[in-house]
Amino acid sequence: MKSGTDVWKGYLLAWDETYTLIQSPFTSDGSRVFGADSDHTTLAIAALQHRLSYDASVDCVSLAEGVNGPIFTMATGVAMADEQTYDSCKWDLLIGDDATVVLVQRDTSIELPVLETRLEVDLEFHAAVTRAWEKELLDGHVSQGAYVSSAQYNEGGVARMALSGQQFGELLVWPPRQLSQDGNREDGRISLKPLGTVASWTKLSAAGAPSEFSLRAPLLGGLTTVFLDLKDGPKGVFLMVDDEENEVTIGESVELVVRRIYAQEGMIRYGLRGRII
Amino acid sequence: MVDVAVVGAGQTKYGNHSLGLKGMWAEAALSAFESVDGDFSPSQIDEAFIGSIAFGGSQLGNTAALLTEHSAMDGVPVRRVENACASSGFAFRDAWMAIKSGQADVVVAGGIEKMNDLTPERKRFWLGVSGDTEWERLAGLTFPGTYALMARRHFHEFNSNHDDLVHISVKNHAHGAMNPLAHIQKQVSFEKAAGGFMVADPLTLYDCCPTSDGASCVILAADHVVQQFTDTPVWIRGSGAASDRLALHDRPSITQLKATAEASKRAYQQSGLTPRDIDLAEVHDCFTIAELMATEDLGFAQRGEGGTFARDGRGVLNQGDVTINSSGGLKSKGHPLGATGTGQVVEVFKQLRGEVANGRQVRDAETALTHNVGGSGATCAVHVLGRDRE
Repeated sequence: MKSGTDVWKGYLLAWDETYTLIQSPFTSDGSRVFGADSDHTTLAIAALQHRLSYDASVDCVSLAEGVNGPIFTMATGVAMADEQTYDSCKWDLLIGDDATVVLVQRDTSIELPVLETRLEVDLEFHAAVTRAWEKELLDGHVSQGAYVSSAQYNEGGVARMALSGQQFGELLVWPPRQLSQDGNREDGRISLKPLGTVASWTKLSAAGAPSEFSLRAPLLGGLTTVFLDLKDGPKGVFLMVDDEENEVTIGESVELVVRRIYAQEGMIRYGLRGRII
Repeated sequence: MVDVAVVGAGQTKYGNHSLGLKGMWAEAALSAFESVDGDFSPSQIDEAFIGSIAFGGSQLGNTAALLTEHSAMDGVPVRRVENACASSGFAFRDAWMAIKSGQADVVVAGGIEKMNDLTPERKRFWLGVSGDTEWERLAGLTFPGTYALMARRHFHEFNSNHDDLVHISVKNHAHGAMNPLAHIQKQVSFEKAAGGFMVADPLTLYDCCPTSDGASCVILAADHVVQQFTDTPVWIRGSGAASDRLALHDRPSITQLKATAEASKRAYQQSGLTPRDIDLAEVHDCFTIAELMATEDLGFAQRGEGGTFARDGRGVLNQGDVTINSSGGLKSKGHPLGATGTGQVVEVFKQLRGEVANGRQVRDAETALTHNVGGSGATCAVHVLGRDRE
């Protein structure tokens, strides 16, 4: 396939050999707006993941300001360009004023298609969620939530964002262990497919949600979490995405996509969340 | 090797306690001291182990030293034992081991938690600190959520259902209604428990234990000094403990707690008793599904038949195969995290000595079991106790 349009990881997509356009399906007053747990970083990751799914040659991307570079690299395994590598980098990632991201081959001229799907957001809900994120991101906002330090978060970042696991003999292990059962440090990593089947699920009421979600859980009507049997064998627990229907049943197929989870100390914690496929 | 007995046991009432840490601990310790039949002085205590999460963090470090200072145990070697909700179950085991090792003759094990002096936000933080922070917490889970995942899977695999959980809730409230030390001394109808506010689907408010303040304290003694204190000791026949992976997703099954199965297997083996020999069990029912699974993991019901066990009333006081949670359990008696394990021992101590009033006494109780779980099953301590030494 050399070009096309699609829905990819919950976003709208158009691509050809020279570009990947990705947009939020949600609109307000004619402009594309982010869903409740998306931003330019999550769109950028989805764009590159799509390109990598059929073109593994992309090894460096020059990122626009507004995209979280370390998270982008953890999720995709592709380096972001720096001063030394900028000239040799063949791909640029551009962001729009709205919820749009374009991954484009450098020095090519492109004409972007107009994607027709438009899901008009509930203005009140959208404004409330946006305000909640803004408040959560303030340095002065001290969450009473679980404390996952930057160091701890980053240590598990690749496993969290790219499902990086370990192969111990016949056994595929995720999340990775520091030492294998026979006491050896095992550095070999393997990426698991971001697909799974629901083995169990729950929906926490807003009142019962962890306090780090206390600003947004009431707006979202609670939090839905799934326990997945991952396609490659291991199991995991994941929040479902916030901006799609989450009527889950056991046995249902779910794909994992990178989204915002919560913010702490002015830093957004990203991770994989489930969406029904 | 030396045998170990419980010679004294006491606790505060569980609930919204007006006293703080020092006051509650002193009340529980005094209650334990006064329960000793013979002459007893705190100066006879060789060692002390106090279980607590130090909920709220007001005295996170050196909690135990503060408590002994205020309970006539100045100078006693003491430490805080922390294994989440199983803290004092492990404190009890540590006390037992201290005597078994020959290093001590008289040891105090206890637990304490002050939970209701925090804002709701701070409370929710502390309620979540014992689960897997890096993966489960970032997936929105606290303990109601993790146990809800277990419940739904159990329903799916074994055709159990929410009504089975309601039976457990109704039973434990009925037992707790007769316990003057219980947090919630109120019977609940099946209809009311079935229609409770949904906390974490499928678990409702009536499937969840309350947030309680409380303290508990027991006194253990070596066989060669027991007679100084009582003619009716309660012997510790077996002690088993085990751990498991912290996060549910790292376990082969989420419909059983491996740590419970392993710990109980060791305790039974040591005691020479089997599940059929147990007259009463204080089981860790932080959520009703936890009791359902525990009846299977402890061997009172076959795997997958915990729902039937509950539905048939086989754990009801003096009616079933074994009385489960005569105290009301965590569901009704309450769950002051660090105090719960030794609080279970307080109940079986009194039951085995025939000292329980208000129609709550288990008839002809000879043997008992306590089952104390940390978090969603990462740690577990099980003890088998009896009126007879062997």
